[in-house]
Amino acid sequence: MQRKLVVLMVVVALLVAACAPGAPAAAPSGEQPATGKITLRLWSHQNTAFIQANEAIIAKFMEQNPDIEVKYEQFAYDQFIQALQTSMQAGTEADVIEMFGTWVCSYAQGGRLAEMPMNIMSYAEAEELFFEAPLNGYYCDGKLYGLPNEFNLEVGGALVNPALFEGKGVPYPPVWSDMDTLREQASRLPEFDGDTMVRAGFNFVGGDGLPFLLLQGILEQGGSYFAEDGVHFNFDTPEAVATIQLLTDMVQKDKVVDPILFNADSNDPWGSFFAGNAAASFIGSWAAGAGRVDYPDLAFDYVNTPPLFGDEYNFAADSGWGKVVSANSRNQEAAWKLVEFMTAEQANALAFNTTTGTIPALKALVENPEALLADAPWVEPTLKLLPHGHYIGDLTDRDKLFYEIIYPAVLQSLQGSMTPEQAAQTIHAQANEMVDAAP
Amino acid sequence: MTRAAIVGRAGEPRKERTGLRPGQHAFVWGSLIPIFLYLGVFALFPMIWVVVLSFFNYSPVRVGDGPLGLGGRNPFIGFGNFVAMFGTTQAAQLFRTAMMNTLLFAVLVLVVNLAITLPLAVLVESVHERLKGFFRAIYFLPTVSSAVAVAIMWGYVFHPQQGLINNLIKLVGLTPPRSWLTDPNAFFLGVPLAMVAVIIAYVWMDFGYNLVIFIAALQGIPREIRDAAHIDGATGWAEFRRITVPLLRPTLLLVCTLTMISSFQVFVIFQVMTSGGPQNQTRSLTMEIYENAFRYQAMGWASSISLVLFAMVLLVTLVQFRVLRTDWEY
Repeated sequence: MQRKLVVLMVVVALLVAACAPGAPAAAPSGEQPATGKITLRLWSHQNTAFIQANEAIIAKFMEQNPDIEVKYEQFAYDQFIQALQTSMQAGTEADVIEMFGTWVCSYAQGGRLAEMPMNIMSYAEAEELFFEAPLNGYYCDGKLYGLPNEFNLEVGGALVNPALFEGKGVPYPPVWSDMDTLREQASRLPEFDGDTMVRAGFNFVGGDGLPFLLLQGILEQGGSYFAEDGVHFNFDTPEAVATIQLLTDMVQKDKVVDPILFNADSNDPWGSFFAGNAAASFIGSWAAGAGRVDYPDLAFDYVNTPPLFGDEYNFAADSGWGKVVSANSRNQEAAWKLVEFMTAEQANALAFNTTTGTIPALKALVENPEALLADAPWVEPTLKLLPHGHYIGDLTDRDKLFYEIIYPAVLQSLQGSMTPEQAAQTIHAQANEMVDAAP
Repeated sequence: MTRAAIVGRAGEPRKERTGLRPGQHAFVWGSLIPIFLYLGVFALFPMIWVVVLSFFNYSPVRVGDGPLGLGGRNPFIGFGNFVAMFGTTQAAQLFRTAMMNTLLFAVLVLVVNLAITLPLAVLVESVHERLKGFFRAIYFLPTVSSAVAVAIMWGYVFHPQQGLINNLIKLVGLTPPRSWLTDPNAFFLGVPLAMVAVIIAYVWMDFGYNLVIFIAALQGIPREIRDAAHIDGATGWAEFRRITVPLLRPTLLLVCTLTMISSFQVFVIFQVMTSGGPQNQTRSLTMEIYENAFRYQAMGWASSISLVLFAMVLLVTLVQFRVLRTDWEY
C-alpha cells in the first residue's frame, strides 16, 4: 500500500511539473507589487549600440513615469530566439520585446503577440508617422502588432576604409556612379599573398547581402520575386539569372572578393572590414553606427553604392527592429505606453537612430534630417534612397529563405559550383517548397 | 529456522525484507523522491515530449488549441515527419546529407581514434612507471578543455594565411590547401577537407579518454600470459596481435561504443569550426536538430530527427555488442 502511495505521489508530481509550463498562471510578466508600482520587463538582442540607446530611453521613461519600473534584459542573438520560443511556451517572456519586423507576423499569427489598442494608435495614424516598409512588418492580417524603431536597409551603401583606398591609389572618398566604376575600382583594392587573397577589395558575400542584392537586382530590372498569387515565389526568371551572373562576374572576372575565404561563415563583410581584411564591405548603414561604438579608433566612412541595373534604385526593405507586446503581459496598457514612448515620440526615436546608426522609421526625422545628421552623418547617403524602398513582403519564413535557400545557392554560383541558371532554379524550387510546407 | 524467525513479530515483515526500520523508510523516500522528480522533469519528460512532438507539425511560435500547445495550429500529422525524410524536398535532402556526414564522421573518428590510442597505450604502458603518469596527464589534458576553446584554437591552426598547418606545409616546400575549412572543392581521399579538419580537432580533443581506458585494461592483463608467450618465442608484434588485442576485446567493445555514441552527439566543434559548411559538407545531425528547432522553429521536424539519431545510436551500439561480445574473462 505504501509503495503504491509513493508511486502515485511521484506520478502526480511529474504530471504537475509537466503541465506547469503551459499554465497561464505561471506567467510572471508584468509584476505589480503591493506598492502599486508596475514592473515591466523588456527584452532585446545584444548589440552594444542598441543596448546603449534602449537604456537611455528607458531611463527617461522611468523618470517621466515613476509608477512604472522597467527591467531591461538582453540576450546574444541566437540565445534571444531560443529564449523567446521557450519562454513564450512557458508564458514567462518579457512584457515588451524588441523584435525584428519580419518575424512579427509569424509570432502574431501564432497568437503570441498582443494587438495594438486603437487608443494607442490605429494603422491609419501609424501610416502617417512611419514609412510603409518598416511599418508593414508589424501589420498582419489587418491588425497592428507593434511599432518599428528603424527602417532596415541592407543595400545601397558600403563601409570604406580610407587608408586602404589611398594605399592602392584608388580615389577616396569613392564616388561610384555606376556598377562599372565600382567594379573597376574594387578590382584594384584586393591584396594577395601569392594566389591567396588576404584582403578583399569589395566584400559583399554576406548572409544578408547576397539575398538583398538578388532582390534588388530583380526589382531594378522591372521583375518581381513573387508569383502571381503573391504567396509563392518566382526566382526562375531572366532577371534573377542576370543578377546572379553580375555578382558571379564580380567574383570570377573582377576578383573583388574570394568567396571561398570571404563569406558569411568566415570573414563576413562586417568582421572582415573591421579586422582590416576588406577595403570596402557592402552592408547596411547600421554597421557604421555599431562600428563607431565598437571600433572608435578606426577611420572609416559609409558611402553609397550604385543601382545594380539602370540609373534608378529599386530595392526590397526589411521592416527592421521595433517593439511589440507579449500576449501574456498582464500590464498591456503600461507596456504599450512604453512601446509608443520608445518608437513614436520623435526625440526618443531620434536618440535611438543616432545612437545605433540606424535609419529612422519615422518620416518626420527624415524630412527634417538636420538633428539626425548632426549625430549620425554617415546615414546621409542612405536617406535619399528611402523613397525607392518597398516592403519586402510576406516571405513565409524570412530567415529560412535568406540563410538556407538564397544565400547558399548564390554562394555556390560565386564559388563556381553552380551556374547562375542552376542557382536561380534551385532558389525557385526550394523557396516554393518552403511556402507549400508552411502550415 | 521457524516461520516466526523469518517473518518476525506480527506487523514487522517489512523490516526483514528491506533491512530498514520503519523510521528509516521516510528518510529513504524523502531522499529518493527529489531525485525521481529531478530525473522525471529534466530527463524523462523531455524524452517523452520529443517522442510526442515528432508526430506533430509543431512550432513554439504558434499557440495550439489543445493541452501543452498541441493541436490546432500545431496539428497532429502521424508519421508525416518520418515519411517526409524519404522525400525530395530540401529539408529531406539536408537531413540525409546530415545523416551521411554524421555516419562518416563517427566511423572515421572511431578508426583514427583506435589507430592512435591503442598503440599509444601500449607504448605508454611500456615506459618507466614514473613517466606513465606524466604521459597520461599530457594526453588527457585536451579532454578536460572546453570544446569551444578547442574549436577556436583549431580554427586558428587551420587558418589559410596565419595557420600553423599551412605554414608548416609551406616550410617543407609543398603547396598548402587554399582553405581547410571553407573550400567546398577540396577533398582528401574523397573526404571533404573541412570534415578532415574537424575530425583531426575532435580526435585530438577526445583521444585521451580512450587512452586512459586502454592503459587501465593493459594493466589488467595477467603478466603470466605475456611471460608464457615470451617463453614460446613470441615477438613484440606477435604478442600485441595474439595476446594483447584479443584480451582487450571487452575494452574494445566499451571504447568503440562510447566513441561512436559521443561522435554521433558532437555539436560544438562543428558549430564553431565550420557552422556546417562549406556547402553542408560538415552539417551533422545535431546541427540539423538545432537549426530546425531553434532557428527555424520547426520543433516537430527537429524532434523526429532526434528520434532517428537515437535509433542510429541504438542500432550501432547493438551491432557493436553483437560483433565484439565475449563469453570469457580473465
